[in-house]
Amino acid sequence: MLPAALLLLSLAPQTASSAAAQHVHAGIEADQQGHIDQAIAEFKEATEEDPKLASAFLDLGQAYVEKHDYASAIPPLKRALELDPSIRGGHELLGYSLLAQGYADEAASHFEKAHDTAALGISLVEAGRPADAIPYLKEAVSKNPDDPDLLYYLGRAAGLLSRQAFDALESRFPDSARAHQMMAQNYAVLRDEPNAEKEYKAALQAKPDILDVHMELGQVYARAQQWDKAEGEFRIEAQMQPGNAEAFYRLGDALLQQGKVKDARVALERSDKLRPNMPQTLYNLGKAASLDNDPASAEKYWLRVLAVEKGTPLAAQSHFGLATIYRREGKQAEAARQMQEYEKLQIERPSEANP
Amino acid sequence: MFHPLASVTLSKDPRMTRSITRRELLQRLAALGITAPIFDVNHPQGLDFTHLNSPTPKKYLIETMGGGVALFDYNNDGLLDIFLVNSGHLSNPQPLPEDFDRHEARYWNRLYRQNPDGSFTDVTQQAGLANAGDGNYGMGVAIGDYDNDGFQDIYVTSYGRNVLYHNNGDGTFTDVTAKAGVAAGGWSCSAGFFDFDNDGHLDLFVTRYMVWDTQHSKVCGGEWDTYCPPGEFPAISSILYHNRGDGTFEDVSVPSGIAAQKGKGLGVSFADYDGDGFTDIFVANDGMRQFLYHNNHNGTFSEVGLESGAALTADGKPISGMGTVFQDYDNDGRPDILVTVLPREIYALFHNDGDGLFSYRSLQTGLGELTAASAGWGVGLEDFDNDGWKDMFVAQAHVLDNVEEIDHMLHYKQIPLLALNRDGRFVRADCGVTQAVAGRGAAFGDINNDGRMDVVMTVLGGQPMVLLNDDGAPNRWLSVALRGTRSNRDGLGARVRVNGQIRFCTSSGSYLSANDKRLHFGLGQADTAKVEVLWPSGTLQTLENVRAGQFLTVTEPEKPEKS
Repeated sequence: MLPAALLLLSLAPQTASSAAAQHVHAGIEADQQGHIDQAIAEFKEATEEDPKLASAFLDLGQAYVEKHDYASAIPPLKRALELDPSIRGGHELLGYSLLAQGYADEAASHFEKAHDTAALGISLVEAGRPADAIPYLKEAVSKNPDDPDLLYYLGRAAGLLSRQAFDALESRFPDSARAHQMMAQNYAVLRDEPNAEKEYKAALQAKPDILDVHMELGQVYARAQQWDKAEGEFRIEAQMQPGNAEAFYRLGDALLQQGKVKDARVALERSDKLRPNMPQTLYNLGKAASLDNDPASAEKYWLRVLAVEKGTPLAAQSHFGLATIYRREGKQAEAARQMQEYEKLQIERPSEANP
Repeated sequence: MFHPLASVTLSKDPRMTRSITRRELLQRLAALGITAPIFDVNHPQGLDFTHLNSPTPKKYLIETMGGGVALFDYNNDGLLDIFLVNSGHLSNPQPLPEDFDRHEARYWNRLYRQNPDGSFTDVTQQAGLANAGDGNYGMGVAIGDYDNDGFQDIYVTSYGRNVLYHNNGDGTFTDVTAKAGVAAGGWSCSAGFFDFDNDGHLDLFVTRYMVWDTQHSKVCGGEWDTYCPPGEFPAISSILYHNRGDGTFEDVSVPSGIAAQKGKGLGVSFADYDGDGFTDIFVANDGMRQFLYHNNHNGTFSEVGLESGAALTADGKPISGMGTVFQDYDNDGRPDILVTVLPREIYALFHNDGDGLFSYRSLQTGLGELTAASAGWGVGLEDFDNDGWKDMFVAQAHVLDNVEEIDHMLHYKQIPLLALNRDGRFVRADCGVTQAVAGRGAAFGDINNDGRMDVVMTVLGGQPMVLLNDDGAPNRWLSVALRGTRSNRDGLGARVRVNGQIRFCTSSGSYLSANDKRLHFGLGQADTAKVEVLWPSGTLQTLENVRAGQFLTVTEPEKPEKS
């Protein structure tokens, strides 16, 4: 967590007494040789020789940090900042020490003064202030997009914020439609279909025109392979939100699973119009067309899938579908080529055996 | 297990003081637009079998895969008898040498002779079928008259050594495995008799599941101890035995090309899908592509599953093939393939489009709605309501006995699926079973000779269920038994057309099981039928104006009528 640069700080005792300065130099030398306990003893001597020497307290604090003795690091670092509030590296070191000891709120104030957005965001998360943390973490992630710690804390902050909001929803509005929807989502995650269904229905009873609940309930039915019920819910959502591409996609998928290919095509085409070139929509359009004995359209859609999907399972499925079409049309060479592509992707991506 | 509608007394109406039959009641209900279960779930007197699979914490895979059942008339008295395959005793852990305690009577396979009153008598011991062999953990059964002596023989598959029992014709059987040379080895599952070279002698196909033994077994599922998926074990080839016609068989797996493919075969079904006069083979493989072996007419087969479109789903995905049936569901004259699978998949229906091509029709036929949450094993396409369309019955249950702990939406024990065929689309119907069970094998036949197809379903670790068809619909029917002369005596491989419907004569299909070889046709309202039999010998035999409602035996002409 500590930037390496901070650990290499060696602050020159510009205004120190000669005795204090000698101890500081001896401490720095011992530190550089890896004799950390000897360095601490020297820095302690320096602070006793010159109790006003901020840099000696900072060096002592830093030496304790190097030793991972954060509890001991905090008093000299605080003293250093009392003596010199603008001392370089002081707020960072004290912030890290405090954070390491669980004093996240106090740490945050020091990181704020040090303008360390990453550490500030993390300390705010640890302080239970995810809403405050998120802007800092987003800024830090934008600067260091591949830092796993930052990504973790940003995700954690969002999760905590979500939980806080849901806790408030549950405690203050327990009978509201959204509270039932939230409970339903929790049950759905646990794959507890009966309770999820019950809560979604309670949400709809509380507020019949609430958005997204029919779609979510439909997804519960879809996961349970109850496609007729899923179709009903997706259809209502699509009627409520005629501009929602996902609602039409899911309706089309539910219809397709039931073999209602003509109706499925209508819904999927609508989804494609609302949000063009979604690979799964295009694939299902191809599948529906194929099942509807319209190979020309199926070919068109699956070629569109392959224009946007490379090397994915959906691409493999499209190659397989095209091979089937070409074989039926007597285009054996084309069929063989598509099967080659399909099999290539199977080898690269072996299928999981069903338990 | 008795259905509440099984027997009702309507005593308040003076005209109805007698007990009416269940069928009469159903007919009256049907007239009122009230539907009732087609089957009367029955436990016939004398059928006291309990399947013993001996589940252990070791989760040996064989525990969850048995057992088979056969419906056949072993003593030619015109009544179907029942043969049930038992599994055996497993220890925890199973020591070497493997001994499954099959010498103990409770682990025997059982033969039940049907009596004229519909009860059954256990004739296992007197028939000479008492000891199944200690090294065998029983799996399935195939039935066929391999020596053309007019009596049905029994082939039992096992984890271990398979056994061929010759029917002596006097109510007894003799283990002729060693002489016949059909012991196989490893883990055999479904098997079937068919005549691949049309020489008049029934050959034998044996599916094998995987390379597995108790010493190399393992437990999967992480925190849940589960049976391992097939992907954990190597594939293995099936076996084809050619009948030399002298009571012995030759393993022709390699020269025929069958051994060239390694699969995970659980089910097998036969039909001549391309109408070339030679029987082809479909193998249901678990967790991989399915195999369709095209008969090349010269003793060899080519595996054409992928290029024919019968290997994968429409999305190019493999399936967990278990049971299979190869019959024409949509009355277009071409045999189609139905495969039962695990949940999150859909039972696969490969429609025979002609020209050697199949298309995946599960969604259009309604199987997406009916089967996506189910796991299917034994399966049949039979016309249960005699309306002229083949319906579907599937023995169902998950393979994992603790699946509910892993996925709340799935169930281990399930109600069997009965789906009626409405012009090529399947619609769920009440099968009459009210209690979920761990269904496995299923055999189909007209047990009580009432012109309605019945079912015997095995239950893993439980008692079999006998589902007697008591459908109230007044449709007519015709049952056709074949007697080959120049073809094999059973007529297996013959294509029989009745009023436009096609059935391919076979006792195989389903899962681990063997069916009544008589061919049952629902005729709807037709009083008569035109019957055409295309024998394996190439002879086409036609019978006009055949009266409905009879058991017809058609004997192959000694001399060909027409080729």
